[in-house]
Parts: sequence; structure tokens; C-alpha cells
Amino acid sequence: MSAVLVVHGGAWAIPDELAKASVDGVKTAACEGFAVLKRGGSALDAVEAAVRTLEDNAVFNSGHGAALNTDGEVELDAIIMDGRTLACGAVSSVQNIAHPVSLARAVMEKTSHVMLTGRGANLFAESIGITTVPTDTLVTEYERKEWEKQKTYVTGVMEDFNSQWAHDTVGAVAVDSAGNVACATSTGGIRNKMVGRVGDSPIIGSGGYADNSSGAVSCTGHGESILKVTLARLILSHVEQGKSVADASRLSLQHMGDRVQGAGGAIVVSPSREWAATFTTERMAWAAVEHDVLWYGLEPNEKLQEKIAQ
Amino acid sequence: MLPVVVVHGGAGHIPKERSEKSTEGVCSAVRAGYVVLKRGGSSMDAVVEAVTHLENNPAFNAGCGSVLNVKGEVEMDAIVMEGKTLGSGAVSAVRNIANPIQLTRLVMDKTSHACLTAEGASQFARSMGVPEVPMESLITEYARMRWRKNLVPDANPVECQMGKMGTVGAVAVDSEGNVACATSTGGMLNKMEGRVGDTPCIGSGGYADNQSGAVSTTGHGEAIMKVTLARLILFHMEQGQSAEAASDLGLAYMKSRVSALGGVVTVDPQGQWAARFSSHQMSWAAAQKDTLHYGLYVGEHFTQGIDEPLLQGI
Repeated sequence: MSAVLVVHGGAWAIPDELAKASVDGVKTAACEGFAVLKRGGSALDAVEAAVRTLEDNAVFNSGHGAALNTDGEVELDAIIMDGRTLACGAVSSVQNIAHPVSLARAVMEKTSHVMLTGRGANLFAESIGITTVPTDTLVTEYERKEWEKQKTYVTGVMEDFNSQWAHDTVGAVAVDSAGNVACATSTGGIRNKMVGRVGDSPIIGSGGYADNSSGAVSCTGHGESILKVTLARLILSHVEQGKSVADASRLSLQHMGDRVQGAGGAIVVSPSREWAATFTTERMAWAAVEHDVLWYGLEPNEKLQEKIAQ
Repeated sequence: MLPVVVVHGGAGHIPKERSEKSTEGVCSAVRAGYVVLKRGGSSMDAVVEAVTHLENNPAFNAGCGSVLNVKGEVEMDAIVMEGKTLGSGAVSAVRNIANPIQLTRLVMDKTSHACLTAEGASQFARSMGVPEVPMESLITEYARMRWRKNLVPDANPVECQMGKMGTVGAVAVDSEGNVACATSTGGMLNKMEGRVGDTPCIGSGGYADNQSGAVSTTGHGEAIMKVTLARLILFHMEQGQSAEAASDLGLAYMKSRVSALGGVVTVDPQGQWAARFSSHQMSWAAAQKDTLHYGLYVGEHFTQGIDEPLLQGI
């Protein structure tokens, strides 16, 4: 059977000046990830490749281009999960790593643990030869300016994160030709977050979940709200109850809005190659590839397509 | 049926010489939580009170008595959640504080975040005036002995983990029908520095929702995460299963899908409760209608007046 891969570049009020670059970025990442599947690679390999591409792209808030915490430093969260075995790896609050998603995969494959945090995650990275990069290489001029702007505000603004003000986490889900699903999510978190703040992204069942018996999900949006409803696991529980992936996503995001007034987005694939990209924020950059057709969108209900050049 | 509070002192295999202390510990913690509820306190107040008692008791792997990481240090994880608003607070890999559960409540109440980790959690604790304690004060002789034993190359920390009390936790329903959960742990024996287990991960170490109930889990952390055990049990309850049946379904799934054992305490908003485990033992206790319930082995269930001295099982 054919393979499918979906990516997102974050659900939030993406400003017009970032719109085109965001859409171009997810399209490129989706094609990179799909190329892995076409070569016969696993869903796990494909989501890692897609997310690495997004982490390298300074338009998105992960890896290069990550948001700064109150101290002006970069702390990154990421998760990867294999739906075949439920094996999972995650890192939280890791500093100065260019590809947190690959470090998460190393946690999954080279340790008996699922999650490493803070200095421990950096020590592990060092021990397996993943090099740290200077903070300045991860921080864009844009992010530094935004951080300074908010820094000079009254401090009360920091406490005033509007739940509707989501951020640009990146993520990918895929199903490979063998029917295995996988997910990956990576983020720099919210701007001016407290030192050590962990959002939804690295938390299994919130930022992502993958299970061959139902599907794979990667989430984005207001992290604290996503955590409260364990959004990824919630979506898959609806799929387990017989809902389509699109209905399951809509129902769950609506529940998150009603119950905790949070907005966000999710991408989902099922082992039977159903897929959906859904959001309740103003915009979400997403792209999907199936049967050599590239689908993408940014606005609500927007679904454009183009043929991939062979 | 209300109020009710249920606590656990960890699932695993408890050496005979330590079982008495475990039973006494969970009974005393559940009484402390019950007093809070009887005074009209909230379920959140009650679970934090009960877990604080367990953290302060060196017989359990949380707060004082935590297991040590591979470097011989204490790093602790904890979570609280309240079912009315789904508000939640967690800390992971936090050091040098006596009661991580109280810090999680501050994260929930005083920040716009849900989880703080490592040095950031310590910074927040300092800013809130939470006293720092020397690591030595959290380390027992028993914990140090077990750490040394497991430094040998062929040691199996997962296997040995089951040889000691695990995580501690509590769930409660107050007289208004609000549910809450709290879970706290020193984690896994000889874990890597910075290892985060299931405990501080919402939906894994605990979950609370007034629409279905509250769960606190214990057992092999990595396996609990893979099946998001607390959330899984509540999904079953949303589908109409009882607290007991849902707990058994969740634990059976974890055993069949990822071959791991654990235990849970579960309540529903009406006050039905369950203490279930697939491991050899789990020390647990419950208080409801002025009756104390407790047990340690599968099928064991003693009851007596809440204020009577412990009669059996010790």
C-alpha cells in the first residue's frame, strides 16, 4: 500500500510577512519526508527527516529560529514515537542542539528511558557525540528583536499569555508502506517562557502519540491547553471509537476550546492512510504528500494541491 | 459516598521487613488526607496533604527516601491535577526540596505554565521562598545501599526497582464532587541524570477530570508512558466502565502491549474507588464513611474504624 506523510509548521496567527515562507517551508519538509518513504524508509525515518528539515528552517520556532526564554536563552523540547512498539523518546529543556528530534530518537534507541531533561539531556547528547552549537547560531535576528520588545514591556505582560496566542511548533506524522505509523514534534516553546518551562511537545499523549492500532498525531497550539486535554491521545481515542481522523480532530479541538479555552491544531494519519490537518487558530501551515500529490494550506478550509515533479 | 481519599505507596515487590512500615505509612497518609476532607477542604488540599505525608516518610520512594540516580543524586518528579478546571502543575528532575508535591501546586497556582523542569524548577522554588534542603537530608542509608549494589555492570535496575516501593500517590473526591490527583517519586533506581519518568507527565502519572474521575499510577514508568495509563483508564470510564473494571482493563493492556506491571488508585466523581495492581504487591489505603480500608497483596482488603489503631496486616 502507498505511504502518506503530513507536516505542520505550527498553528497560530501567522503574520502575513511569514505566510509565504511558512507554506514554502512545510511543502519542502513534506517532500523531504516523503522521499524517505518512497525509498522504502520507515515512517519513523520519514518523520525524523521531515522535522529535521523544519528545525533547519529559521522561519519556524524549533532548532534554528527557536523562541527565547526570559533569560534570553534557547530551550528546546521534542518527541518521537513509533506506533509499532509504542517506543518513544523525548527531550525537554535541552540547550543548544540543532536537531532535538534526532536527540529524542537517540533517547528512544540508545537508553532504557523515554525522556531526558535539562543538563542530563545535554550530557547524554555529548556522550553520543551530538555536538552542541553556540546559542547565537540558533537565534534569529527576528526572534532576538521580538524578545527584546517583550522584555521592555511591563513584566505583567509575561503572565498574560493569551490562550489564543499559540506558537509555531513543528511536527510530522507518517504511515509507511508496511502500515507502520510514527509521529515527531519539536519546538522552542513560547517566547519569554520561564526558565525550565516544559510545554506539551515532549509529553507523550499531548504533543504527539503513535499507535499502529489507531494512528499517529502531532499537535501544536497553546501548550498548557493541549496538556490539560492530552490532545494527541484524545484524538486517537475518538479514532478508536470509530470516528474518522478528520472528525476526531475536530471534536477534540472543539473540546479543548470549550473546556479550557485553548486554540491549536493537529495533523493525523491512520494505518489505513486516512489523514487530516485541522486547526482552530487563525492559521496553520501544513502540507501532505500522498500518491505523488502535494497538498497544502494555511487558512481555514484551504486545501491546495500540486503534482510533485518526478 | 463522599468524601473519599485513596493513596498508594508504590507497586512492586516489598521486602517483608519493610512491609509493616509501608502499610503504616499509607494508612497514616490517608487519615491525614481524610481529616482535610472532613474539615471541608477540597480534594486538591487532601491529595497534597496525603502525598506530603508520604514524601516525608523515608519508607517511600519520594521526597526523603527517594532512590538515587546513577551519580548517587536525588532528582524528583511530581504532578498535581484538579478535575474541575483540568488545572495541573508538574515538576521534573527537581533537586534539593523536601516536598516536590507542594512545588507542583505552586506551578499550577502561581505560573501560567503546567510543567517546570530541572534548574528552572529550582529557580522558581527559590523565587517562591521554598526552602532549599541539603541533598543528604533526602538520602536514606537504604537508598545508598541499593544504589551501590546497582552500580555493578550486570545489575538490572528495572528488576530491582520492583524490589522497592515505587512512586507514591493519592486521588480524592470532596463533598462537592470535585476530583483531584497527586503523584510524587524519586524515579527509577540508578536512572540516568535528567531521566523523567511517567510521574510528571500528565495523563501518564496522573489525570483528573470531574467528568470521569481521577487516577494516580505507579510501576514501570517507561511502560506507563507508552500507554498513557491514567488517561487510558479514564477513557474506559468515559465509555461506562466502573473505576475497578477500567483500572483492570488499563493494567491488562499495559501488560499485554508492553509487557510491564504497575498499579493504580482510581476514583469516580460519585465516590466509587479502586486500588488495583498487576504487580506482586502494592501498599494502598482508602478512607470513606469513617472507615479505613487497606491492603498490600492481591485480594487483601482490611477494613476498620478510621481512628482505631491498625489491627491486621502488620
